[in-house]
Amino acid sequence: MTTPPVLKLVKGAAAPLPRVRDLDWSILMARAQDGDANAYRRLLESVTPYLRAHAARCHRNPSDVEDAVQDILLTLHAVRATYDPARPFGPWLTAIARRRLIDRLRRQGRRRALETEFEPNHETLADPSANIEDMTKIHDITAALDRLPSRQREAMRLTKIEGLSLKEASAASGTTVAALKIATHRAIRHLRQFFSGSGT
Amino acid sequence: MIPTDDLISALAANLRPVRRLRPPLLRATGFLLLAALILTMIAAAHGWRPGLLVRLAEIRFALSLAGALFTGVLAAVAAFLVSLPGRSRRWLWLPFPALALWLSSIGYQCWRFWTPMVPGGAPPGETASCIATLVLTSLPLSLALALMLRHAASFNPGPVILAASLSVAGITASALTLFHPLDASVEILMFNLGTGSLIVLLGGAINLFVSSRLEIPE
Repeated sequence: MTTPPVLKLVKGAAAPLPRVRDLDWSILMARAQDGDANAYRRLLESVTPYLRAHAARCHRNPSDVEDAVQDILLTLHAVRATYDPARPFGPWLTAIARRRLIDRLRRQGRRRALETEFEPNHETLADPSANIEDMTKIHDITAALDRLPSRQREAMRLTKIEGLSLKEASAASGTTVAALKIATHRAIRHLRQFFSGSGT
Repeated sequence: MIPTDDLISALAANLRPVRRLRPPLLRATGFLLLAALILTMIAAAHGWRPGLLVRLAEIRFALSLAGALFTGVLAAVAAFLVSLPGRSRRWLWLPFPALALWLSSIGYQCWRFWTPMVPGGAPPGETASCIATLVLTSLPLSLALALMLRHAASFNPGPVILAASLSVAGITASALTLFHPLDASVEILMFNLGTGSLIVLLGGAINLFVSSRLEIPE
């Protein structure tokens, strides 16, 4: 049956194919070809750990491993008419599994060439509060805003920091749109002076 | 992704009995019999090339024909064997000796016949009839192989398509040699390679289609 802990136990192992089992599988597959659903279910459940061990050698991510196993099972289902019960089942199954895993690795390689992996680093640096350099600037900006007259500071907060439209900001602050425009304009001029060093 | 157990239950629940494929050599024989039938029908309708028996006595002509014919036969056998999971890929080497024989004689004939053919060219009627032979031979054979080897699409299509197109090319070239006085020239090669490439492209498209259908929706 499919339990995730099995993954860790068999990961990296070659999982040799026992001969007795091969014969069992061969018989089950022959019955499945004749339409015996129970035999088919037993066969698929029995080969799944073996396939999982195979897939674990190619993929590290457990969900990739499970994806690969399902891919192999679907291919096995699609080409089940090609199995000849007079021949061993193992090489037939291994050939399908190997082919499917190679295809997946190729496809994954193509996809990875177009993508950048998202790592914890990206998240840390994108988060402003975690970035030391940005923190310094935030302190400076906060200090500069504190120096502004209260109407200008309010206008900046509403229109530039909270990102409201002039209309919304006008409604929120109770001032006219024209007054807001002037206040914002003056606030920006003050800030510019502050950061260029000419402000007090 | 659905749980693997659920997938297994779904596959078992929708299981339908399948007819096992017959042994690959038997299936290859069936395909070659179809090819023989097509060649016989063209022979009956069109007739052999003028002076065939005399040309057959020439060792180089006989080797070229045998090379093309054996390439067709052995590549078909290789295609049927390699299309099955678990069979050795080394079977792909099977048609190579015949192919080498065929290609070496084509090289010689290109060098010898191509230049004199350029100024006058082949008569238009002969060219049309030649193209008809090409189409009548390669099209049904390609379709038959595509149908008989379709199970390889979801397993390992590349080498199978390669071997199958080589087989069709060999048989088609043999047909041309048997029915038309135009010896192996560049146009035959181009047509054969064109047929092969078309099959490879179609096969690639089918493969993409099949594998994208096999993708499990997340």
